Amino acid sequence: MPKLRDIALRRLASLTPKYLPFADVATDDVPLSRLLRLSLFQVTVGMALVLLIGTLNRVMIVELSVPATLVAGMLALPLIFAPFRTLIGFKSDTHRSALGWRRAPYIWKGTLYQFGGFAIMPFALLVLSGYGEAIDAPRWIGLSAAALAFLLVGAGVHMVQTVGLALATDLVKDEDHPKVVGLMYVMLLVGMVISAIVYGALLTNYTPGRLIQVIQGSAVVTVALNLTALWKQEARDRTRAREMETAKHERFSVAWRALTNRPGAKPLLVLIGLGTFGFGMADVLLEPYGGQTLGFSVAQTTLLTAIFAAGTLIGFAIASKALSAGSAPLQLAAMGAAVGIPGFLAIILSSVALGPALFVAGTLFVGLGAGLFGHATLTATITDAPAGRVGLSIGAWGAVQATCAGTGVLLAGIVRDVLVGLSPATGLSAQTPYNIVFGIEIAFLVATVAVALPMLMKSGRRPKAKREPVPQNNPVEVS
Amino acid sequence: MSDDEDKVWPTGLNLREAEEVHSYLIDGTRVFGAIALIAHLLVAVSTPWLG
Repeated sequence: MPKLRDIALRRLASLTPKYLPFADVATDDVPLSRLLRLSLFQVTVGMALVLLIGTLNRVMIVELSVPATLVAGMLALPLIFAPFRTLIGFKSDTHRSALGWRRAPYIWKGTLYQFGGFAIMPFALLVLSGYGEAIDAPRWIGLSAAALAFLLVGAGVHMVQTVGLALATDLVKDEDHPKVVGLMYVMLLVGMVISAIVYGALLTNYTPGRLIQVIQGSAVVTVALNLTALWKQEARDRTRAREMETAKHERFSVAWRALTNRPGAKPLLVLIGLGTFGFGMADVLLEPYGGQTLGFSVAQTTLLTAIFAAGTLIGFAIASKALSAGSAPLQLAAMGAAVGIPGFLAIILSSVALGPALFVAGTLFVGLGAGLFGHATLTATITDAPAGRVGLSIGAWGAVQATCAGTGVLLAGIVRDVLVGLSPATGLSAQTPYNIVFGIEIAFLVATVAVALPMLMKSGRRPKAKREPVPQNNPVEVS
Repeated sequence: MSDDEDKVWPTGLNLREAEEVHSYLIDGTRVFGAIALIAHLLVAVSTPWLG
């Protein structure tokens, strides 16, 4: 009998690790398939972004007839949590776990919040719009429920993205970081493009029932993809668990000051903010600009988004290649911002001369610049991260990036609406409001290059940047 | 149940590790329960059931 028990136990012991969500061995070489699987979390982030900024924006205003200002306010709520990315990243760096985990618990929690937000969102929106009996319900129920839903999704997205990127950084060797960053960005773009198409198709014939199905379906897909991404990624580590127990607890403010006081850290954050803001304002305006001033049809404006995405992909590819070959991330970031300037100039000029051809070229260039800039700045953040503070570093990047991209999108919409509202009175032409916004973007990109140049000169003098010099004509000085 | 902290049970986990895995499950259930409660309340507000 004891023998039988032994056999049963041994079978159990050999069987169970298969069903536990951690990798038992941390191999030095993480295969691409595993990284691809991990990058699925970026797909859910892209999905959430498209749903919030694109789909729900329209559904709430058009189908649910919620006032536009209220919609803008609700959609801005997740931005409040963006600065907390630094704190989340720091907490994951210093997390204490008996399993030796640092990242997995936070990705799991973030997934829960994302799921929870999506699960209550459709009902919250229906109550907010006064659907059915909700018309008699007190107003605060709909308002607070919708706010809670958006906050939960926002918090979840911030957590999952910050800690997910930190986990990806943990998993691969230093020289592979540019490739991983590229992969993560590409998957974010893929997630956004696919979900935009799917949401568009599913919500063409809008019914309240369909809205519930689509948003709750997103909740289920989010959990499924994130769990697939997380499964067996982070190694269980008893040695690390013991180190965690004895590790001295550092305060966040101390770690934050240590991070930002390093030479070049603050200018890098400013650079990220300026550039992201500059590129971020473009996204929402390109389609209506093409439609209103150049007379593009709906199908043609959709094609514009595809061209923009293609430009971004080319940017990612170039950045991955150049950075893996050892060129300085800062230099590439400056190049990205510099490429965006002629792009926006071309877009502005297209309303005066040459028309669509110039506009398409400009869109492609702006996409290319955005791709280069995004990739290079995240890579710069990761390569500059002090040991054991990768989460905090990525958190700082994410806080600046998400805040600036979000305010860029919101401000672009507001500025355009205000200017469009003014135009009948002042007799402005249709393209003027857009061109003013594009002009602001050029100003921000010029400022980005202006911040980058002194940093580049300084880092050129520093012995650290003595890598293989990559021959390339630097367009920074040209424009 | 032995109280040996370092004993690795057939699951491949020792006691503290198992407790941590369990805590994720409990947390998940709690959040899930709270979300389900809110969702039901909201549905009841817009389309009341049970009279």
